[in-house]
Amino acid sequence: MIELEHIVKSFNADRKDTAIHAVNDVSLTINDGDIFGIIGFSGAGKSTLVRCINLLERPDSGSVRIDGVEMTRLKPKELYKARTKIGMIFQQFNLMPSRTVMQNVAYPLRGMSKEEMKARVRELLALVDIPDKENSYPSELSGGQKQRVAIARALANDPTILLCDEATSALDPQTTGSILQLLKDLNRKLGLTIVVITHEMEVVKNICLKAAVMDAGRVIESGDVFEIFSSPKHPVTRNFVRTTSNLSKIETLIRDKSPIVQLKPGELMARLVYVYADVSEPLISYASRAFDVVINIVLADVEIVAGSMVGGTVVIFSGPRENIDRAIDYYKSKNIRVEVIQDAGPSA
Amino acid sequence: MQALLPNLMRRLPEFWKACGDTLLMEVWSGAIIFVLGLIFGIILTVTKPGGIMENRPIYQVLDKIINLFRSIPFIILLTALMPLSRAIMGTAIYVRGVIVPLVFGATPFFARQVESALAQTEKGLVEAALSMGSSPFEVIFRVYLRESLAPIIRAITITIISLLGLTAMAGAVGAGGLGDFAIRYGHDRNMQDITWVVVGVLVLGVSVVQWLGEYFARKNTH
Repeated sequence: MIELEHIVKSFNADRKDTAIHAVNDVSLTINDGDIFGIIGFSGAGKSTLVRCINLLERPDSGSVRIDGVEMTRLKPKELYKARTKIGMIFQQFNLMPSRTVMQNVAYPLRGMSKEEMKARVRELLALVDIPDKENSYPSELSGGQKQRVAIARALANDPTILLCDEATSALDPQTTGSILQLLKDLNRKLGLTIVVITHEMEVVKNICLKAAVMDAGRVIESGDVFEIFSSPKHPVTRNFVRTTSNLSKIETLIRDKSPIVQLKPGELMARLVYVYADVSEPLISYASRAFDVVINIVLADVEIVAGSMVGGTVVIFSGPRENIDRAIDYYKSKNIRVEVIQDAGPSA
Repeated sequence: MQALLPNLMRRLPEFWKACGDTLLMEVWSGAIIFVLGLIFGIILTVTKPGGIMENRPIYQVLDKIINLFRSIPFIILLTALMPLSRAIMGTAIYVRGVIVPLVFGATPFFARQVESALAQTEKGLVEAALSMGSSPFEVIFRVYLRESLAPIIRAITITIISLLGLTAMAGAVGAGGLGDFAIRYGHDRNMQDITWVVVGVLVLGVSVVQWLGEYFARKNTH
């Protein structure tokens, strides 16, 4: 278990006027076996926070406990030893260019014979699914392969925790997907606790069950990823959720006066947001038939987040006003949030 | 030969001795400069602000001392350090007498070269090594020195070559060697053939060093 309590870290702390609070009073608890996401825009302090876990950055104040051990009070030698049990991977992979894949993965191994080392490296490379590259140099590998080697290296000493600092941000979407899948597998196979730092909501959505949202050095929201997605409370979180949702395109369409969103008299455009975990009923076609309105789907975006459905649609209702109102009331009774975007008024 | 290089051929034993003296100066001072410069370059790198063993006083003092010695022209250093040379080596002339000024003259240069070679090591590599539990000393030997082997070899090459220039200058204060040989005969007695042969030997030496340096640097680049 990782327990962070009241972590404060500022840079330029010796000069009060220019001091920057990178992390400002953050408390978080990450349970064993979790895949925990920390999301925020760049400069939010998330990279600094994650470095406080393995003390690559020493917090100005606050406590960092890992499995009950207070990290900030360890002697240097104890800290080096503790770090071998906390793997870390990076956006830029940080493989040593003068060493082969074999030598890179063997870097953190010690107290082993050459043969044992080789066997261990091969085992690790098989685990991350690149068994045939042990004699290549990093410069000969693709981004995804480099990150796999970095993961193998980070796992060399059987850590219980893996910290991922923007580990997929330099990769294309397809490779990102395969690396995330690998992390998920490792979490399941090894019971590894994974902390994922990212500015991409996609990543959190994809693999995390719990997450914290950071802004200006503080955690502004944390909890179940599904909760955060379905009902974001803080404006910054809402912003994040919107960046990943197709539904936000409607604002652009309206601003650009696209013909798709020009309403005729009698029409009403609304956003239907599913905020509960079970959208299995055929809501659109049912309401259309039951209340005799035409419902035209302009945009739709339904996703599986943390195993549940999240999302919504933007639709244009057309028909007699009282029918539209009854359809909207029906949706509300089904726990669907209805936001009217544009209303052309009842037809004459 | 006799007709082409009349003055040189008459002084061949002296010429060989001059070559040997230059080589001797180069090897002795080079070895000391290598060790000291490497140590100072590493200290600069790790103690500088943001370094893995950040230490402001040590960095500031070392940085200033290096700047001080780098700003003194070598010919002045040669004479200024004569008393020190006598104290350490027992003499201020011949090959022995010039080792001290050569070390003082070239160590700061090499230390800066090492510092800039190590600076090419990406910060991320150091961070990755620390995250895997490496101690600062391990980071120095297994990351900084190992990963910047190619730029360090280039730094050594450049230093050996500039040291060759300094040894020639050292000849002026009685150190012997090729510089002294060229000045005494080639310049003072206007024996042009001696000047040309010395220049030729130096060009050859520099070329060989440069070629070797480039060869090893490339061998260590992946």
